[in-house]
Amino acid sequence: MPQLDYDVLIVGSGPAGSTTARFAANAGLRVLMVDKRQELGAPIQCSGAISRHALEAADIVPDDEFIHEAIYGFAIYDERGERTVHDYRRLKPDEYGSGGGKKPLGYVVDRRRFDRHLMTQAERAGVDVWLKTEGLGYTPTPDGRCTVHLRRYNQEIDVSARIVVGADGLQSQVGKWAGLQTHIKITELAGCLQFIVDGVETEGLLEIVTGHRWAPGGYAWVFPKGNGYAEIGLGVIATMTKEPAKDHLHRFMSDSFFADRFANSRILEVQGGGVPLASPLRTQYADNMILVGDAARHVNPITGGGLHTAVAGGKIAGTFLSGHLADNLPLRSDALSAYQDLWLSAVGEKMWKLYDIKTDIFHNMNIAERDSQLYATMSDYFSPTSEFKKI
Amino acid sequence: MSKQQPVIFDIGWNACINCGACIAICPQEAGFVSPFDTIAVDRPCDIACLLCEQICPVDTIRHRPAVAEVTPAGAVGR
Ligand SMILES: Cc1cc2nc3c(=O)[nH]c(=O)nc-3n(C[C@H](O)[C@H](O)[C@H](O)COP(=O)(O)OP(=O)(O)OC[C@H]3O[C@@H](n4cnc5c(N)ncnc54)[C@H](O)[C@@H]3O)c2cc1C
Ligand code: SF4
Ligand code: SF4
Repeated sequence: MPQLDYDVLIVGSGPAGSTTARFAANAGLRVLMVDKRQELGAPIQCSGAISRHALEAADIVPDDEFIHEAIYGFAIYDERGERTVHDYRRLKPDEYGSGGGKKPLGYVVDRRRFDRHLMTQAERAGVDVWLKTEGLGYTPTPDGRCTVHLRRYNQEIDVSARIVVGADGLQSQVGKWAGLQTHIKITELAGCLQFIVDGVETEGLLEIVTGHRWAPGGYAWVFPKGNGYAEIGLGVIATMTKEPAKDHLHRFMSDSFFADRFANSRILEVQGGGVPLASPLRTQYADNMILVGDAARHVNPITGGGLHTAVAGGKIAGTFLSGHLADNLPLRSDALSAYQDLWLSAVGEKMWKLYDIKTDIFHNMNIAERDSQLYATMSDYFSPTSEFKKI
Repeated sequence: MSKQQPVIFDIGWNACINCGACIAICPQEAGFVSPFDTIAVDRPCDIACLLCEQICPVDTIRHRPAVAEVTPAGAVGR
């Protein structure tokens, strides 16, 4: 019979959950992490782009186990195919490159392997992990702890914990369990679809295509995927189009300035998901509960990137919990606001700023003006001088 | 924008990529989900905002009025 009493119970073993778990366990807490899936990261709902800096800051060593391809910069396109390139191999040739002593700017990772790798690192730090285990709810108990209700291989199990961490991703239910306001506006959730393809050349850059014509409310992308493969995708805001992402993606592939480049592409995988281009949740904690990662909307509202923010948030959450629990501080809602304050000062305030920039752009109803604003903002965002470089 | 009539959803599983976007946009209370990372299909939705249909990247969610549901629950579906 497994031990049914933990310090921390984490629902969801994505990048946010595994990173929280690893930092908490390294500090000596007893941690159980559960995930309802049988294979982490699958089906893939992510393009997998993450900066090297983001990995290193969360003590994740870049490993061939999960890396598809190294990235050296960005190319941002306007609607007609004019582009701004920030190739760090040229901008800072001594630092960035594939040669000896040089490093990549970032990576495209395989989420199946990345998530499994992060879970393994957590397990090696002492975390217990249960797969095929779904979180169903939790109840704070009079002793100041809480009981978490789980279903594992069809069996209902209650586990006692001091605190539950909701790291259950975009479709998060944990926040709803506690009655938090977690709703995303339809104008702020991008519906995304992407194909892994063979037969499309890439050049070590993340390519981002702006323009209402191709991806209303979002953008399209072409990422290198290793082994000569590429990833072509886009996200759209439902209120700005009458068509689903699927139709936009087909049109982008057949009608855009990239039509010739994509003409011989063969689709190897179909992936998709939702990306909140939204603000972080205003309240990310409740009695005996904190949220981290997509569950707390820790997503960059300009780029839609949520991997960096998931592992950064996981480190903050894990470190916060180790201090808070070691000091035996109370775990009711008001005492946990310190977690959110910590997160805000480390990354959250910048995310709110990005949200304001993004909101300004999309409040402009003039499509041509909005397109050029988005192109300029994206081009600037990825430049070496961007104030947001580290998000 | 909200239709008052409760609806029941029918998901074309062949096109569904189990991405969970429909759950993410759904204002229902916790647990209005299916085992395949979609909104629930085994009971009516009384909010009927249809945001789930709008967000679906592969356009595979359809609905019908739940009131017409006179067949036993077990007979629903194809
Ligand atoms: C198409 C697409 C492309 C993207 N591309 C990028 C990109 O290139 N770069 C980037 O940085 N970000 C990207 N993102 C965003 C990124 O994927 C997310 O921000 C990231 O996965 C968030 O990590 P997380 O750990 O918070 O949640 P998730 O990775 O979603 O993990 C949540 C985990 O919780 C589990 N779970 C959920 N509910 C329960 C439950 N009740 N009980 C037990 N387990 C549960 C799930 O099975 C899952 O394993 C993309 C997203 C999409 C949709
Ligand atoms: S109609 Fe609205 S409330 Fe009902 S399932 Fe769809 S998104 Fe949820
Ligand atoms: S949004 Fe569409 S594709 Fe995604 S899980 Fe729901 S029904 Fe399936």
